[in-house]
Amino acid sequence: MVLDVNAFIGKWPYWPVPITSPEAIAQKLAEWGIDRACICSTRSLFVNWEDGNVEAGRAACERPDVLIPFACLGTFELSHRAANRHHDLAQYRAQGFRGARLYPQHHSYHPLFESFIDVICDQAAALQFPVLLSMRAIMNWGVPSLEFSSMFGLVERHPRVPWILSGVNYLHEIRASAAFLKKYEMVHLETSCVMGYEAISKVVEECGYEQILFGSAAPLQHGRASLEKIWNARISDAAREAICCGNARRLLQV
Amino acid sequence: MLVDAHVHIGKSTRLQIDVDGEHLVRVADELGFEKICCTDLTALFYDMHEGNRLLYEEMKKFPDRIIGYASLHSTRFGDEALEELDRCANDYGMRGLKIYSTPQMSIAEPATIPILEKTVELRFPVLAHATPLECEYLMAAVPECRLMMAHAAAQPFAHGDWNRAIMAAKTYPNLYLETASSTIDTGFLETCVRELGPEKIIFGTDIPLLDPYFQLSKVRDTNVAEDGLKKILGGNILRLLGLA
Repeated sequence: MVLDVNAFIGKWPYWPVPITSPEAIAQKLAEWGIDRACICSTRSLFVNWEDGNVEAGRAACERPDVLIPFACLGTFELSHRAANRHHDLAQYRAQGFRGARLYPQHHSYHPLFESFIDVICDQAAALQFPVLLSMRAIMNWGVPSLEFSSMFGLVERHPRVPWILSGVNYLHEIRASAAFLKKYEMVHLETSCVMGYEAISKVVEECGYEQILFGSAAPLQHGRASLEKIWNARISDAAREAICCGNARRLLQV
Repeated sequence: MLVDAHVHIGKSTRLQIDVDGEHLVRVADELGFEKICCTDLTALFYDMHEGNRLLYEEMKKFPDRIIGYASLHSTRFGDEALEELDRCANDYGMRGLKIYSTPQMSIAEPATIPILEKTVELRFPVLAHATPLECEYLMAAVPECRLMMAHAAAQPFAHGDWNRAIMAAKTYPNLYLETASSTIDTGFLETCVRELGPEKIIFGTDIPLLDPYFQLSKVRDTNVAEDGLKKILGGNILRLLGLA
């Protein structure tokens, strides 16, 4: 069983990725060897995060055997008008969402200087609702990335949130992630952009495997290639099973 | 035959690497790579003479496995660089050249031209860590040079824009794309093959910077036909090196 904590549905504006419908995505994931996947709509990144969440919820209803919805959250203040609305993670959870995602680099806010982020984090900590914080949606330099210090500054400020650090790639980013994994038991690292030579085995050696989660960023990234680096990492079979599925099942309660 | 066209050997502080031929050949064995094309990191980033000599010592230990690329730590050493290339070809038995470009010190400049002309004379293919724009400049200056764009623009200085790399390779018959990258965008290889044909794609991993397993998978586990894959995974680089 392979459970992917970081997949997408929707269109990709940078180049053609002709796998967009829930059915096509489920089929492609199966072809790559991924049984279930947590999804967020790319519409949430590029158009309107609430519309994207509706899309992700519908997709999960179409293929509940495969797709698990995460809610992408952003600011309510649009077109420079403050909206008298507030985030409510309990409502998302009641609708079947299993976690939230933050993409500050796509939503033009600074995560350390926006009060709504603290509201989200306080709720997530209270509900133990996983929050995926993305440094990069995918590992490509043409796509915006979140500043290193912003990611780790936010986690440091809210260590009780069940964090999923996502899109981490470079050695210094992995080092910082490893330091946080050791310091905070609620911090997790997903693997979609961990591409370094023996990087997976080194993190496991340093931090154990309980906080590492398989992620692929499929179908934008090649799901099978994402899996191969886990299958071939110099780690125990128990570690491999936990990374591919067990840790995520425990965290997401699926 | 599987051949990795992009491998590094030696030491680098910036890349935090210290590996020898024995380590690399062991990894190659695990992956089923029969040959690996290596660049010494000292030659690439510090001193060409010292680094190329170090690579030659490793080549002697594994003559059937390690193919040497000469490296120049800078293109601005004039005749000294050309003499080093002669030494690498004639004394060390190296078969290609690796050069590295950064936005701060781009190789797309007149100083690079005599070096590329020398590689034509030596029949060296050139693995260039360079952007599509830089490759276009170089190809326009020395069109007979067989240039491999390392990473196919899927590297930070080229903003990961492999679609732009394809456009460049379409324009210049002797410009090839090499696949090593931490980018695993879905459809990358299929698009390259559709637009350029499999003959212009060269498989590489960038060991020991990047995990080789996902890199092999992103090429092998695609919809590209078997005969095309054979070319990409070894046939093309062997042809360019004069070994096929």
